[in-house]
Amino acid sequence: MSHERESGTLLLDNLIIDIAKHRDRDAFIKLFDATSSRLKAYAMRCGSNDSDAEEIVQECLLTVWRKAHTFNPQAASAITWLYTIVRNKRIDLLRKDRPDLIQSDDLWPEQSTQTLEKDVESDLNGQIVRTLITGLPDEQRQIVYKVYFEGKSHSEIANELDLPLGTIKSRLRLAMKKLDTLAKEQMTWLIIILLTNF
Amino acid sequence: MQFAAGQLPNALGIMAACHLEVCAQCQARVKLYDRLGGEILLATPGVAVKKELLSGLLDRLDEPEPVIATESNLGDIRIPRPLRRFVPGFYDQLPWIGMTRSIKEFKLPISDAHYTAKFYKIAAGSELPEHTHKGNEFTLVMDGSFRDKAGSYSQGDFILADHNTVHQPKADDDCDCICFAVLDAPLKMTGFFGRMLNPFLS
Repeated sequence: MSHERESGTLLLDNLIIDIAKHRDRDAFIKLFDATSSRLKAYAMRCGSNDSDAEEIVQECLLTVWRKAHTFNPQAASAITWLYTIVRNKRIDLLRKDRPDLIQSDDLWPEQSTQTLEKDVESDLNGQIVRTLITGLPDEQRQIVYKVYFEGKSHSEIANELDLPLGTIKSRLRLAMKKLDTLAKEQMTWLIIILLTNF
Repeated sequence: MQFAAGQLPNALGIMAACHLEVCAQCQARVKLYDRLGGEILLATPGVAVKKELLSGLLDRLDEPEPVIATESNLGDIRIPRPLRRFVPGFYDQLPWIGMTRSIKEFKLPISDAHYTAKFYKIAAGSELPEHTHKGNEFTLVMDGSFRDKAGSYSQGDFILADHNTVHQPKADDDCDCICFAVLDAPLKMTGFFGRMLNPFLS
């Protein structure tokens, strides 16, 4: 199962690269088939209705077609890149025609395509993050999901789950601490891999 | 994490983006949280899309890319990019409103249901009356520096004060200190004379 998913994300990387290099429509259709339902589910879980969610999917994939050349597999995996695009499209749809609200372009300026020295994210890293999320205790995972999907403040989450605010904060802190520790371990692994390669 | 999830209220999102422009450590964290977002996307069970969506999309692929005038290209480049669209000019051209001689404020036209966004200018070398906060106050130092009993803060630093913080910030002598503050409740003066001002603060 996890092997299947691993090759799935690699496939996405290749599809985006094909779109960038050859303006390949077949690759685009494959990408659509592989991702559109998930993108829609994400938008809906964040509170969009059915038709808004489809507009978000459409805008997101159109951006993939136009910006495929800026995708840098060394800097982020395809799924992370897609996530940042769909997140931004959702915000921009909400804030359309509102000059008093900030747009995603200003919040997350377009990354330069230049590869940063230390900025290597391999599939190994993706796998580690994935194992980590599945390894989080249910109580922590539930809160992480609420942050990503529902935009609730810590105190709203506390009310909803009928738990003290301190408990929510400490669970989230524990989850984030695990993530950070893993990020550090990843660097160690990276160094080991680099050393053994030379 | 809420920033990477795209779930922060407007004013706080802007502040987080300003801080991120200058903080490499936080940039790395956002990268990590983005990756987490990607994994969550991957783990989300799909919801079927309408059949017409793909054909509609294929028809649009050849459309010319719309040219979006990014307002952030306008404005003064000395102001952090995320704020530029809300600020009419550089700090010295803003219509500052004096609260006292030592502190002036400029209210930013940012809509947000819960938060008020302001610039504060503390005159070089002056000290503010001792105060605390009824709610949370997020402050980002934009220019100059100031200190209180907990430490000293300079350009790019991010400070969170709440009802447990009682402090008396003092700007350093070399130049005026400009801060970007996002608050969900007004200040509350704690000194004897300051208390009399409380009814007027909003």
